[in-house]
Amino acid sequence: MTYPGTELKEKIISSIIISAATVSSLLLLAMLLFILRESWPIWSQIGVSGFLSGSSWRPLNTPPEIGILSMIVSTVWVAGGALLIAAPLGFGCAIFLAEFAPRPLAAVLRPVINMLTGIPSVVYGFLGAAVLVKFFEVKFDLASGESLFAASLVLAIMVIPFIVANSEAALRSVAAEYRHAGIALGVSRQYLTLRILVPLAGKGMLGALVLAFGRAMGETMAVLMLAGNTLRLPGSWFDKGEPLSALIALELGSTTPGSLHYQALFAAGLVLVLMVMAVNLGINLLLNRLQKGGTLT
Amino acid sequence: MKKTITDQLSLGWFWVSGLLILVILLAIILYLIWRGGPFISSQFILDSPHGVPLGTEGGIFPAIKGTLWLIVLALVISIVPGLLTAMYLSEYGRSGRLAEIINLLVQSMAGVPSIIIGLFVYALGVVTLGWGISLLAGGLALAIMIFPVIVISSRDALLAVDKNYRLVANSLGVSKSYTLYRVILPRAAAGITAGVLLSLGYAAGATAPIMVTAAAFVASSSGALLEPVMALPYHLYILFNEHISLNHAYATALVLVTLVLFLNILALSLSSWQERINKQ
Repeated sequence: MTYPGTELKEKIISSIIISAATVSSLLLLAMLLFILRESWPIWSQIGVSGFLSGSSWRPLNTPPEIGILSMIVSTVWVAGGALLIAAPLGFGCAIFLAEFAPRPLAAVLRPVINMLTGIPSVVYGFLGAAVLVKFFEVKFDLASGESLFAASLVLAIMVIPFIVANSEAALRSVAAEYRHAGIALGVSRQYLTLRILVPLAGKGMLGALVLAFGRAMGETMAVLMLAGNTLRLPGSWFDKGEPLSALIALELGSTTPGSLHYQALFAAGLVLVLMVMAVNLGINLLLNRLQKGGTLT
Repeated sequence: MKKTITDQLSLGWFWVSGLLILVILLAIILYLIWRGGPFISSQFILDSPHGVPLGTEGGIFPAIKGTLWLIVLALVISIVPGLLTAMYLSEYGRSGRLAEIINLLVQSMAGVPSIIIGLFVYALGVVTLGWGISLLAGGLALAIMIFPVIVISSRDALLAVDKNYRLVANSLGVSKSYTLYRVILPRAAAGITAGVLLSLGYAAGATAPIMVTAAAFVASSSGALLEPVMALPYHLYILFNEHISLNHAYATALVLVTLVLFLNILALSLSSWQERINKQ
């Protein structure tokens, strides 16, 4: 039963909501297109492969040398290294929370982990630089303690909460029958967890890891303050480097709009955002396929 | 049940990782309080930076004000589109093709690094539209950053409302918009507010996007839209990076963390309240 006029009003309201949702979601595409437009001269003049594989960044030289290989390597190295540190701790903590933690401890730990995500990245970067880097300098007698490793270490602390939250959710979503069957067979709690629950939750835990990787690649302040910011190609984890995000944050303010330098920073930004999105979309596709093909064992 | 060595070792691993994380957070907070606490005074909170070089004496009042301006502006810009998008996803789109695409776009937007949003707003607002480094540009950047957070949390809060309310309203012949406005929204209000507070905390701590669009080391932060502002995270960064004052850097970090954690704890308690409402 509707009164005259109600239908029109409903139509208007629903079309307002639909158009607002559509327009604001299209913002993402607008952002990508805008960044592509600003960086277009780089792609047409230097070319995709030249820009990606060039390892020297001297945009103000004549002729300018513009290549971001060192930054791409730094980005991947810092983020990959962070996962190397964060994965065992994050998974361990997720399993602890899901299966082993006494109730009162879990009730404390969960909000604590929640709070870790709230601490701003600049604070992590600051503490890392003021405490950790200082410690490296004194301990190993270095002139400066910044390195990709220092950045990875702090990034690891930053991404652990995401790994924990997502992996715990994955572990909890395993059907109860498996748990019951395991207990009925008399296997130990640890065996049950590591051999039955973790393989069944593997998909979700892998997803958690990959999401953390995407987040680590895009992180700016912590890596900016810890990685050392040298534009050379890093040769080891303990070298200095300058990830893409740090490059953009440090140099954007000093460029002349429209200059080659300015355009090159937008090209670097496009590369970074596409890397992150490829990782995020890739994991979605992978998970969907696995969902159809059964479990990840 | 026999306990093997592997069992013991893995149990140790689970406990150590759980406790280590607890220790890390406590260490961070206590260290900040220990190093920054002694420098917090009413003068530090309510005065502008003084001294040579600037920032070695005085306080951080304009930075606090600037951060508040930035997050309020970000909220003003993003709240309406964010809520409308969430309502579409939970009430109007449901399982349609368009809703699927919008969900995917919002999800991807949440993954975009904040420096990329800064880059975009720099090109659009600061350069192309001629705003310059300004509160307006920073507010826009933060608004874009928190938009997906608001959408996702509000969508989930709306979806968590018991379906029977919709069924009953529908069977009574109440229109969709009236149901949404008078029945569903009030019951999801606490959850939505929690999500908004969480996103504000996230915006207050964000440095990269405002570093390239809005922040200045010295500014009055009067709230004028086209002027640069001071902001807590940027102030902290400069105090430390330019070696101006380590003590004030610790104190600034403590103020910033307190502000953000306050917003987070408020959000956390609101969302557990919401859970209790949903269970009723």
